[in-house]
Amino acid sequence: MLEIKPIFNALLRSKVGAVLLLIQIAITTAIVSNAAFIIKDRLDYLNQPTGYEEENIFKFNVMTFGTDLDLIQQVELDEASIRALPGVVDAVQISAIPLSGGGSSTGFRLKPVPEKSKSINASYFETDEHGLNTLGVELIAGRNFNQDEVILNRDYSQFPKVALATKALLDELFPDEEGLGKVIYMGDQPLKIVGVIGMMKGPWLKLEERKDRSVILPMVDPGKLHQFLVRTEPGQRAHVMKQIEALMHDNYAKRVIQDLTGLDEKKADYVAEDRLMMRMLVVLISVLVLVTALGIFGLTLFNINKRTKQIGTRRALGARKSTIIQYFVVENGIICIAGLILGVCGAVLLGQQLMTHYSVPLLSNWYIATTALLVFAMSILAVIGPARRAANIAPSIATRTI
Amino acid sequence: MLKMNNISKMYQTEMVQTHALRDFNLHVEEGEFIAVTGPSGSGKTTFLNIAGMLEPFTGGDYLLDGIDVGKLNDNQRADLRNQKIGFIFQGFNLIPDLNLYENVEVPLRYRGIKAAERKRRIEQCLEQVGLASRAKHLPQQLSGGQQQRVAIARALAGDPRFLLADEPTGNLDSLMARQVMELLEQINRDGATIIMVTHDAELARRAPRNIQVVDGQLADFTLYQGNPNVAVGA
Repeated sequence: MLEIKPIFNALLRSKVGAVLLLIQIAITTAIVSNAAFIIKDRLDYLNQPTGYEEENIFKFNVMTFGTDLDLIQQVELDEASIRALPGVVDAVQISAIPLSGGGSSTGFRLKPVPEKSKSINASYFETDEHGLNTLGVELIAGRNFNQDEVILNRDYSQFPKVALATKALLDELFPDEEGLGKVIYMGDQPLKIVGVIGMMKGPWLKLEERKDRSVILPMVDPGKLHQFLVRTEPGQRAHVMKQIEALMHDNYAKRVIQDLTGLDEKKADYVAEDRLMMRMLVVLISVLVLVTALGIFGLTLFNINKRTKQIGTRRALGARKSTIIQYFVVENGIICIAGLILGVCGAVLLGQQLMTHYSVPLLSNWYIATTALLVFAMSILAVIGPARRAANIAPSIATRTI
Repeated sequence: MLKMNNISKMYQTEMVQTHALRDFNLHVEEGEFIAVTGPSGSGKTTFLNIAGMLEPFTGGDYLLDGIDVGKLNDNQRADLRNQKIGFIFQGFNLIPDLNLYENVEVPLRYRGIKAAERKRRIEQCLEQVGLASRAKHLPQQLSGGQQQRVAIARALAGDPRFLLADEPTGNLDSLMARQVMELLEQINRDGATIIMVTHDAELARRAPRNIQVVDGQLADFTLYQGNPNVAVGA
């Protein structure tokens, strides 16, 4: 039969070890539930859909030191020669690389500056009519811009009149109507939305930027350092990448090709810190759970060693082996439940603090409940071994003088 | 009530075999008070452990109330111990984290007795040993003699067929030892069968029947019939 009351009373009379274990369980529950939630949030962040075939796209920088060329003409020549390579789907010079952590963003408005207007911040890419196909993102309404709409910018005397924008941005700017065909403003420059893109992440994935707000402007404005983006047929990327440097030097020699990198690698570099933090949290959780399990294991072993004669006496008085196991499991269960109640409160408070100070989303109760259940199961598993050992103490120990 | 026929107990290590008991024969009738004496290492405690089913024996037959103990499994032995035997240990063996009431309650809980009945029995037994007013005290708040009386109350609470006492006065001064012995004699007069292992020859002489264990065998069998100076050989 269960001996909850006498076990509880006994714990109250000899509580130092139990209180230490209780605190350990509470801390573990509070930290593990929050850390697990943050890990899940990081995983969602790392695995969020981007709209790109990351494994089929690569980028490279061109640093031109020669001065005897027209950069815009050279870019067009380079693009054409890359597109002619077997295995290439499309290639384009572009102002920013998606998922790389570096690019441009600005507020897109319903009215021109300086009029007061709703303004939504979004990243933007300047490229030509091949940009959409090179990025490989889905056009869900409207059309791509035409070649004659692309501004070849030499002196900033002209600005694009049309743009492509993601549905997410347009839904925010025009919550009650279709964004296609509407005019938005970049500063005081009007841009007519001629096409709506489904999913297209900008250069950043974090927090606010994680919202899918991107705009493509039809403009080519290469500097001495400019970037190309290339999409290949599946499985052809490595082969095409090997040919790039020679091809570019054949086109024009006085320049350096840098940072020839796959888009997936670029993203991996960008999220490396997040991945590291996630791994550290996994290690933290593992260590905490292990230390708590060892704590329970150790305390139970200590209690068994301390109570060897008591256990023998209980056996002599008629306790079955299963009764002894039950005794230690119930004792541990009482400590664990008290620790979990404290830990759940701690988890909620810690979650609120993290949300307030570190912009972490509000901790879900499911994580607290799941963590509490797992910690409880772990504590039962940790106590079973020592409890079985206790049950094997011979009742004859009761008559020995030790 | 208790019959041991040719009981043997052998401890074996890699190097040596030690016979703790050999051809041990003993019959105990209901209501007897037996003192077991013998030199250290003679096998007294081994006999007590086997009689109380605290350890298995190697050979022979042991019948307790007609039940063949050798054929019982561990759980059955635990249940039989709980129902038929009350233990009194030299070191009292009270559980330090439990108060007197809870200590006496331990064997009753193992038997699954309901709370109201447990309470009645505990109060009755603590009353019997003169400690009812201290039920909420912890063992360490009592003297050695009082602790042993609590242990006796615990042994009596389950209303066992017989009591096994292992040096019950070994840790007590002479005054307290006499009080505990008088209590045991009273319990015996009330009908309980008692087997008491002791080093104390004077205490042993107060028991109506003495057995002596030497080198694991029943070496002597003496009955004091009213006159402690006259020994009747068996």
